[in-house]
Amino acid sequence: MNLELSNPPSDGISNLRFSNASDHLLVSSWDKLVRLYDVSTNSLKGEFLHGGPVLDCCFHDDSSGFSVGADNKVRRIVFNVGKEDILGMHESPVRCVEYSYATGQVITGSWDKTVKCWDPRGASGPDRTQVGTYLQPERVYSLSLVGNRLVVATAGRHVNIYDLRNMSQPEQRRESSLKYQTRCVRSYPNGTGYALSSVEGRVAMEFFDLYGTFATGGCDGFVNIWDGNNKKRLYQYSKYPTSISALSFSRDGQLLAVASSYTYEEGEKSHEPDAIFVRSVNEIEVKPKPKAYPNHAA
Amino acid sequence: GSFIFLNRQKHFEMASVKKDPILQVETTCGSLLYELQIIWDEVGETETDRDKMLLELERECLEVYRRKVDQANRCRAQLRQAIADAEAELAAICSAMGERPVHIRQLQALQKEKVKFDLNLASSFLVWLLQTSSFIYSLWCCFTQSDRVETIRKHLCSLYSHCSVLGMDFNEVVGQVNPTLSDPEGPRSLSDHTIEKLGAAVQKLREVKIQRMQKLQDLATTMLELWNLMDTPIEEQQEYQHITCNIAASEHEITEANSLSEDFIKYVEAEVVRLDEVKASKMKELVLKKRSELEDICRKTHLLPVSDTAIDQTILAIESGIVDATLVLEHLEQHISKIKEEALSRKEILEKVEKWLSACDEESWLEEYNRDDNRYNAGRGAHLTLKRAEKARNLVNKLPGMVEALASKTIVWEQEKGIEFLYDGIRLLSMLEEYNILRQEREEEHRRQRDHKKLQGQLIAEQEALYGSKPSPSKPLGGKKAPRMSTGGAATTNRRLSLGAGMHQTPKPNKKPDQRHNDGALSTGRRGLDIAGLHTRKQSMNPCEQLQSPLVRKPFSPISTTVVASKANIATTIQQQLLATPVKNNNGVTNLEEEKMMMMMMQTPKNVSAMIPIPSTPATVSVPMQTAPTPLNNNNNNARLIPEKPEVVEYSFEERRLAFMLQQSNSLIYA
Repeated sequence: MNLELSNPPSDGISNLRFSNASDHLLVSSWDKLVRLYDVSTNSLKGEFLHGGPVLDCCFHDDSSGFSVGADNKVRRIVFNVGKEDILGMHESPVRCVEYSYATGQVITGSWDKTVKCWDPRGASGPDRTQVGTYLQPERVYSLSLVGNRLVVATAGRHVNIYDLRNMSQPEQRRESSLKYQTRCVRSYPNGTGYALSSVEGRVAMEFFDLYGTFATGGCDGFVNIWDGNNKKRLYQYSKYPTSISALSFSRDGQLLAVASSYTYEEGEKSHEPDAIFVRSVNEIEVKPKPKAYPNHAA
Repeated sequence: GSFIFLNRQKHFEMASVKKDPILQVETTCGSLLYELQIIWDEVGETETDRDKMLLELERECLEVYRRKVDQANRCRAQLRQAIADAEAELAAICSAMGERPVHIRQLQALQKEKVKFDLNLASSFLVWLLQTSSFIYSLWCCFTQSDRVETIRKHLCSLYSHCSVLGMDFNEVVGQVNPTLSDPEGPRSLSDHTIEKLGAAVQKLREVKIQRMQKLQDLATTMLELWNLMDTPIEEQQEYQHITCNIAASEHEITEANSLSEDFIKYVEAEVVRLDEVKASKMKELVLKKRSELEDICRKTHLLPVSDTAIDQTILAIESGIVDATLVLEHLEQHISKIKEEALSRKEILEKVEKWLSACDEESWLEEYNRDDNRYNAGRGAHLTLKRAEKARNLVNKLPGMVEALASKTIVWEQEKGIEFLYDGIRLLSMLEEYNILRQEREEEHRRQRDHKKLQGQLIAEQEALYGSKPSPSKPLGGKKAPRMSTGGAATTNRRLSLGAGMHQTPKPNKKPDQRHNDGALSTGRRGLDIAGLHTRKQSMNPCEQLQSPLVRKPFSPISTTVVASKANIATTIQQQLLATPVKNNNGVTNLEEEKMMMMMMQTPKNVSAMIPIPSTPATVSVPMQTAPTPLNNNNNNARLIPEKPEVVEYSFEERRLAFMLQQSNSLIYA
């Protein structure tokens, strides 16, 4: 399969995620909308309007998800009903959102330099759903969650690692060793580590759970698959029209969704229209190769 | 017997007019009797026989009289019957019309008068006749008198009617014509002269009636005007309804008794005078009312009103009687209608002015709103405010066109009217001119700011390309002034090191050695700096060059590095070495890319200590860092680094993109 989704967003795509339960794809965009697609039928199942550009989104399950954005709000969206609740607010735009299955909490990171945890079960009620707020050294740029481990990457190249069971203090405080601003952090699927990408070249990153290999997408429009352990690139897909702003593997790893959407690295300029491509993933593209094998060229 | 003769004799003497036919008849009878007397003397008729003959003559005469009287009676009875019939008919008509049968009374009065008159006449006739002995004479009288009676009767009827209406005494008037006519006892003069005089009197009274009627109608007209002017309540007006209803009546229609009497006319006159006085006393009120009406119109059409002093002086003049208030009111009315005309011609432009002014209000509101940094924080009504802001932006976009259209319309108007279009005393075109100037100034200011910001932004980007981070303003999001940057040409405090790179960033050649206050650069916290233990590699050209080049920011150029983990290398490789690195283009796959990927830190907890330097300063420190004085930044985001150092803040792509979006919507206003 190599499919370009119909009805893509009309402005930049900030993130896209496959559902854990199906081939539904949740897409957040700078056009203030969160969209739900069914990839298997290439159809748009729903659209949800925010008060400002939506900067991140994630699934809870196939019936609901969470989204955050420049209107400072944290929203839960119930897809079929088309209902949305506001879990709460930050004081500045919210850049990231994750849902922790381990704790049943929604975790958000914002440019107001806090990470907040929310209990979505309180969403319908008049009470605040906020469970905790954790000050970061700088504006939060990326979050990653694996198991009970939360990795927070901020401006200034700070990295905080938390145990969700005890958020009072970060487990570790780090600095990125990359020269440039941290763009993205993703934890190893096995929870043993995390990968950082910086603005120098890579803007999107996703792990392929099965093999521990990961895909990166850059401003050059290429998606590469890497074997981190062997420090090798495994595969490169053909060039996409413009910068890769987001990547997501489907739950079974059979599909990779690629958001081809100018990420503003060169400021305001004209660019290719924003598009979402979904392609099949072949094992050969993602399976690690032992060192003995030569590098696989594109 | 002899008494008759004697009386006749007397009458005969009194009636001295020779030409009178009655006298002539009378003479004939007398001469006949005289002749009779002579014959009797000749014949030698005895006294007894003479008396017998005379008695017989009298008896025969009386019988003739009686017959004639009976005839006259019968005439009269017929006349009465005719009158009664006519009356009944009139009454029936009047009742059918639902009117008061005024005429009946008049007729009745007339009838009475007539009857009275007739009776008088008849009785005096009889008396007179009885005082004569000539039956032929009386017969003749009966015949010849009826026409005259009719004429006289007619005249007397008219006279009576006129007198009634005019409130004059009928008897007096009649008496003036001929005293005999008004004397019930005495005989009546029924001569031609009398009849003529009667006719003349009737005509005269008719003229008086017409005169008075016109006067009354004038008074009624004046009354109506005064009522209208003073808004007299309807109850007051109704009292005089019976007068004003005749305002257009003609002479013969006015028949009610005393409706044109002198008293009545005086009465009406008095009322008119009274109304006039009321009007005079209300004049001040009216003038003020008119003035406020004038002011109101002026205000609504934004013309300067008439000066108060002029009006006050006028009122004083009215009160002291110098000036006729009516004239003043007239003048005011004229002024008002003139102003109304003018207001009409101004209407279109005024409507446009209102639109323009309210658009200016929204413009001011929007400017204030844009300065408010909290405007995206949702509060109650934030959604409405956002909507208002959007509407305001649209409106402000239309403003220049609005002003243009308004100005050209005003110019056309001024040319047509030949006068300036004033708005509350100021020339409208001047107001528009002023607004345009202000707006231009504001636009200049904004443009300046924008250019400044752009320049800053580009400089920052340059630096970022070089050093991996950029100085930035205190707040992450736009809406404030351009970022305060270190002066151009100076590098930031950040050094860019890469994993395994052999080179490091060179400071500017002209950098003073004493500006090495960022020695802590090698400590962990230093942004943009790599951790100790790793070689650094210089990425690109001379920063000076980069900054001074025309703000062409190279696309994000990746660095080719090689991974070398060696603490020692840092120390040795640090010096001012400029290495130009070819800018990588973003197409194609090269080994460089792979190398780049290796830059990505695969950090595991185990490896950390090996890869990440200890926060404490390493031994090899003498790195002449390129430093630049950074402006004191109150919002020090990196408090846990070197607190005393003012830090500059970096932006992510998303922050910049959002800032640009906001700027876009703002800049629409000043476009």
